[in-house]
Amino acid sequence: MKKTLPYLIVSPYLLHLALFVLFPVVFSIVLTFHKWNIIAPMEYVGWGNYWRLFNDRLFWKAILNTFQFLLVHIPLQIVIALALAYFLNQKLFARGFFRASFFMPVVISGVVVTILWQQLFGLETGLLNRLLINMGLGRVEWLSNPNLAIVSIAIMATWKNVGLYVILFLVGLQTVPKSYYEAAEVDGASSWQQFRYITFPAINPTFFMVVILSTLGGFSLFIEPYIMTDGGPLNSTLSAMLYIYKQAFGYYHMGYSATLGLFFAMLIMMVVAVQKYAIENDE
Amino acid sequence: MPKAYYQHFMAKKLVQFFNPGNAVLYLLGATLLFASCQKENSDNRHAIEYWSSNNGGEIKFAQWSVDRWNADHPDSPVKYQPVPEGQSSEEIILAAVVAKTTPDIYSNIWQGLVEFYSQSGILVPLDTLDGFMEFIQSRCDSLTIREITSSDGHIYQVPWKINPIMTIYNQRIMKEMGLDSIPVTYSAYLQAAENFKKDTDGDGYVDQWFGNTSVKLAWYQRLFNFYPLYLAASGGMPLVKDGRANFNNEYAVEAFRFLQTLYRNNYFSRQVESAGQDLFVAEKYATKWTGPWEIEYLEKYKREGFTYNFGPIPVPDGHQGPVYTYCDPKSMVIFNTCKNPQLAFEFIKTMLSEDGDLQFLQTTNQLPRRKDLELKPAFQAFFAQNPKLQVFARQAKHVKGADNCEVLIEVFDILSQEYEACVLYQTKTPEKAVADAERAVNVLLGN
Repeated sequence: MKKTLPYLIVSPYLLHLALFVLFPVVFSIVLTFHKWNIIAPMEYVGWGNYWRLFNDRLFWKAILNTFQFLLVHIPLQIVIALALAYFLNQKLFARGFFRASFFMPVVISGVVVTILWQQLFGLETGLLNRLLINMGLGRVEWLSNPNLAIVSIAIMATWKNVGLYVILFLVGLQTVPKSYYEAAEVDGASSWQQFRYITFPAINPTFFMVVILSTLGGFSLFIEPYIMTDGGPLNSTLSAMLYIYKQAFGYYHMGYSATLGLFFAMLIMMVVAVQKYAIENDE
Repeated sequence: MPKAYYQHFMAKKLVQFFNPGNAVLYLLGATLLFASCQKENSDNRHAIEYWSSNNGGEIKFAQWSVDRWNADHPDSPVKYQPVPEGQSSEEIILAAVVAKTTPDIYSNIWQGLVEFYSQSGILVPLDTLDGFMEFIQSRCDSLTIREITSSDGHIYQVPWKINPIMTIYNQRIMKEMGLDSIPVTYSAYLQAAENFKKDTDGDGYVDQWFGNTSVKLAWYQRLFNFYPLYLAASGGMPLVKDGRANFNNEYAVEAFRFLQTLYRNNYFSRQVESAGQDLFVAEKYATKWTGPWEIEYLEKYKREGFTYNFGPIPVPDGHQGPVYTYCDPKSMVIFNTCKNPQLAFEFIKTMLSEDGDLQFLQTTNQLPRRKDLELKPAFQAFFAQNPKLQVFARQAKHVKGADNCEVLIEVFDILSQEYEACVLYQTKTPEKAVADAERAVNVLLGN
């Protein structure tokens, strides 16, 4: 019994891993070589789904859109989160209230936030446009301009998620010993120099984590375009995740969807590996 | 507690937990747990299981039908429940199909999805049941029967109900514009739209439009704007015929051009209405394309003095013949998990009997799909009391459902992409949009 006991103890975890991780992964890989609509028997198509992927212009457009989103979302999120964390790390009146307030959108359902912002972005009766018109400025086609829609979604996603990164940066900032700043002040370092040469290197591990987490979060962009734009206008907000979802649950192309999913997972791993290499080398 | 003692204590407890005697008890417990979970599925007291939609009126009607059947057939009772809650009933049905937990009968399946399910072999071919052909011929005209006959020659659905799409209009606005009713031709409609659009608050933007229809990209939104216009213009031509796209014609091109003009000239609003917002009730829109469900809604929410009526879908100038429209058809199907399809069909027949359909009409304000809707005295009496619904009953003679095409959703998705490019953003001419859609659909259909 003593020999088998350790195995018995880890067996729930192994069972969970086998059922909910290994099986789906293996099944997905098998699916990539098949055509399957969930209810009819699978049909073997060889490398057909992979050929289709490389010729699917809409998928590449969705990948490009996702990168465009990341390009706006990640820098915006990091800059705002860092600035807010820096601000909230000072001795302020009602600091706890502000910290909780900035974190609040993180715990609100993504669907609720998206519907709320959809109303704010409304073209004719949206609050933002009413405000702009009342200020004598023209209205903005937040979600109906193909060049702007992905930026609008990035703004909303930043508002929703920034609280989490504020907390992470706050934790990082609080680990920097005060004596470093005191010594720097004695040496006559400016605030920017203190930030550049003390704060930033000290929070580098946090920075790395924030970049990785926001990249992963950005790659999984789904709820916002799904609810707000359904990928439009002119496919400008069609994210890779939304496209994969549509292939699977809109058209029941399970095999092709699994192929897209596998390819996208590889792509994410590559991007994260490049980021890791760049940040570690910079350090 | 010292660490070594604690480790020994925990190890002892774990050995006790996993000893063979206890294992038998755990197994017994787990078996009981699973048995209790499966109790409902193994309930054999009911001969037939029936799911309806979860719309309030339909639940009431379904319960009425089941109660009546069970009173008359105590030996073969029907168990009823609305389709379980989910994002959409289609998703729930698909999940049930995969899990093999489908009911025997489902009564709210969209006609356009039946081909997908029937080709996957999960529906009972109803024409193989005794008395089905006699029943369907007495209920439906030959056009409807042709429409519901699957590509393999079998019939897998019983047409149950329709909600024809028509133009609703604000009567006060039309009267002020010197019109007796809604303009029917494209040019008259566009002229009225030009006269009505206005910037009422002087901020430089139009805030009063002649109409509104969804600008969302979702495929099913085209069922409520492009598709009825196409059917109206073409006299009910299919989108897909003999495995090929059938819509690259003047009717589709003109429907796209008409819609494009409405948006290009700001006659229609691009606003996505949010929940709780209704610019038709607020009299910011003069018209929209909708179904009979609007009546109950408006009677509840309209302002005092707000009057409305329904008219046909606009058609090209010089259109001849009846004006067709899309009817949003829902059917009843029997899944192949059903052990007694003949009995299930007998139950369906009672639901679709004359008094069943009358009850349905009274309870839901939706139209049964039957050829004698305007002829039977019982229905005539109902429509005399509900004149607004009678307009839809008249239209019901000239309606089309969805084509029998396994990939119909993708066909509509392709049309939706072209609709967005041509109608909403004017990046393509109607001719090019329709031709591109035709090419994509033919590739999809393997041509």
